[in-house]
Amino acid sequence: MGNTKVLFQLIRVDRLTKVYASGKIRVKALDEVTLGFEEGLFAAVTGASGSGKSTLLNLLGGLDTPTSGSIEVKGKRISDMGKFELALYRRYGAGMIFQSFYLISSRTALENVELPLVFSGAPKKERGERSKEMLERVGLSHRLGHRPSELSGGEQQRVAIARALVNRPQVLLADEPTGNLDSRISLEIVELLAELNRSQGLTVIMVSHEEALAAEFAKKIIRLQDGRVIAEEERR
Amino acid sequence: MRFADHIQFSFSNLWKSKLRTFLTTFGVTIGIGALVSMISFGSGMQKNITERFKALDLFNSITVLPGGFMRERESHDPDERTPESSPGGKAQSVLDDQAAEKIAELKGVEMVFPEVRIPALVKFHDKEEFRLVQAVPASVAASKLVTYRAGKPYASDDENSVVVSTSLLRQFNVKDAQTVVGKAVVITSIAFDFSVLNPGNLAALLRGEKLPFSREDYKLTIVGVAENLGFGGPIPIQSDIYIPPGTARKMKRLPFSNIWDVFRAQEGRLGYSALNVRLSSPKFVEAVKKEIQEMGFETFALADQFQDIQRGFLVLDMVLLAVGMIAIVVASLGIINTMVMSILERYNEIGIMKAVGASDGDIKKIFFFESSAIGLLGGLFGLALGWVTSGLINRVVNYFLAKQGVPFINYFSFPLWICLGAVAFSVAVSLVSGIYPAWRAARVDPVRALRHD
Repeated sequence: MGNTKVLFQLIRVDRLTKVYASGKIRVKALDEVTLGFEEGLFAAVTGASGSGKSTLLNLLGGLDTPTSGSIEVKGKRISDMGKFELALYRRYGAGMIFQSFYLISSRTALENVELPLVFSGAPKKERGERSKEMLERVGLSHRLGHRPSELSGGEQQRVAIARALVNRPQVLLADEPTGNLDSRISLEIVELLAELNRSQGLTVIMVSHEEALAAEFAKKIIRLQDGRVIAEEERR
Repeated sequence: MRFADHIQFSFSNLWKSKLRTFLTTFGVTIGIGALVSMISFGSGMQKNITERFKALDLFNSITVLPGGFMRERESHDPDERTPESSPGGKAQSVLDDQAAEKIAELKGVEMVFPEVRIPALVKFHDKEEFRLVQAVPASVAASKLVTYRAGKPYASDDENSVVVSTSLLRQFNVKDAQTVVGKAVVITSIAFDFSVLNPGNLAALLRGEKLPFSREDYKLTIVGVAENLGFGGPIPIQSDIYIPPGTARKMKRLPFSNIWDVFRAQEGRLGYSALNVRLSSPKFVEAVKKEIQEMGFETFALADQFQDIQRGFLVLDMVLLAVGMIAIVVASLGIINTMVMSILERYNEIGIMKAVGASDGDIKKIFFFESSAIGLLGGLFGLALGWVTSGLINRVVNYFLAKQGVPFINYFSFPLWICLGAVAFSVAVSLVSGIYPAWRAARVDPVRALRHD
């Protein structure tokens, strides 16, 4: 490890442990993981399935709470937050995208992107404007009124990205964003993430088992195995 | 989340599963409909009776009965007599014209008229009916106690006129009241005939073959046909045929109309069996009652009875409410079922909403708004259903009762408080039904919900 950089660390993860207990069986999904992510970084977390990548991302995104250890985002310990504070963190602090896109099927692309703004109580007009702007940003200005079933996989993931970023979060957490896409579309999506990272300084943490994609775009690659960090690689 | 968004969310979510929403709302509609018609029936009955009493000025009337009369009937145990309400030695007071004049002078008394009822045969169109013919002063016959379907009341207390009611006409198979006005009716009264009491007839008398009575026929003209009332008629007018008091006085008749008169006659205090006292306002009831009691008479005021009637209504309302509540409980279980089903269906969606920043409170509110939307729709439709159903029942009941001569009565009443209350209650019940589903939805773990896909 030996990461001695003094750059501003947006996210600090310290001895993070997550144990899943179901009945008498206890599974240690994460085992004392300590990491740091600087602001504006494009990081990739790789590893075999069951290595704890998704668990790490869920904890970073405030969807789950750790068994022990801590997570600090911009100086705030989200690992100590209550349910309501965590909801606010998910709303404003971190945007997440997933392998299965997780759009609401009954709502149009625009309505899906508006959803976080609905929860933040933004007025209808502002909501529409910001969502349209965001969909334009991901190249989908012509698809506003389409429902997810009328969109291709790549388009659906773009809608998900727009939704994740519409509340201007500090970090975008992508959980296998290309898992359901073919290689050409996968490349487009990761290129879009990299472009957002470059042009807007958006911090991106992407979980992927596709080493090649990670190696091409990420400035930092973290390898997990059995819930432990086995390698941390800085590039350039 | 904004209020408008909650409204929009709840209706669009309900619209997504139309059939289920319809069925659940229909359940609530039936429940509220049942409750509304039950309560409006209770309230309608109460309103009808109260208004009729008020319209007829029944709260303004006191019936005066001879002293000791009620008490002897009510209590057979002499020890239970309460001397204070029938002060010393006045039990022999006679309810005669002198007493009537004394009562008429009391403050607030508008009119006093004795209750005179003559047992008689009434003959019309060759058909005879036995009736107690009542003597009713012209002023009472012309008051708002009586409504006329045809003709008008008699003008003086002495003319040879008679007013019959629609119920009596029905006995005579007369359908059109207008046709009988101006026609003659024969009233046959019975009087003592002492000429029968001679020794030659004694054996027949004792065997009951000959009685010391004779018939007296009086031909009177029908001047008016009075509407008979749905609730058995107003208290001061108890007969369905009445004549002016002067005419009644001229009739030969028995000096009694019931067995109590006979007993009082033997005590030497045969007066009227009752006096009807009308007051200018209900506020005089208590004072006048007290003064009349001090004269040694018994009083009966409907205002006293009305409290008992109202207590009866409370019980009726409770029973109706209980029946309606059963329907509401069933409807509420329907809402719970629908909402829980909806959580299971939208498990993934709840996870997504939480992932993009919905708090537990937001999720709870989304479900509360949905269940109250069901309640609001169910309440509004239920109100309409209750209104339509009671309207139909009202028509059917009135149709059949009209055949028996009962005038049209609105058996249901829909005051504003029932309308607003029904909708508010429906929403409240739905909110309560939504508590468990909302709590369950809020507890959904986003990680598990997203993996659920």
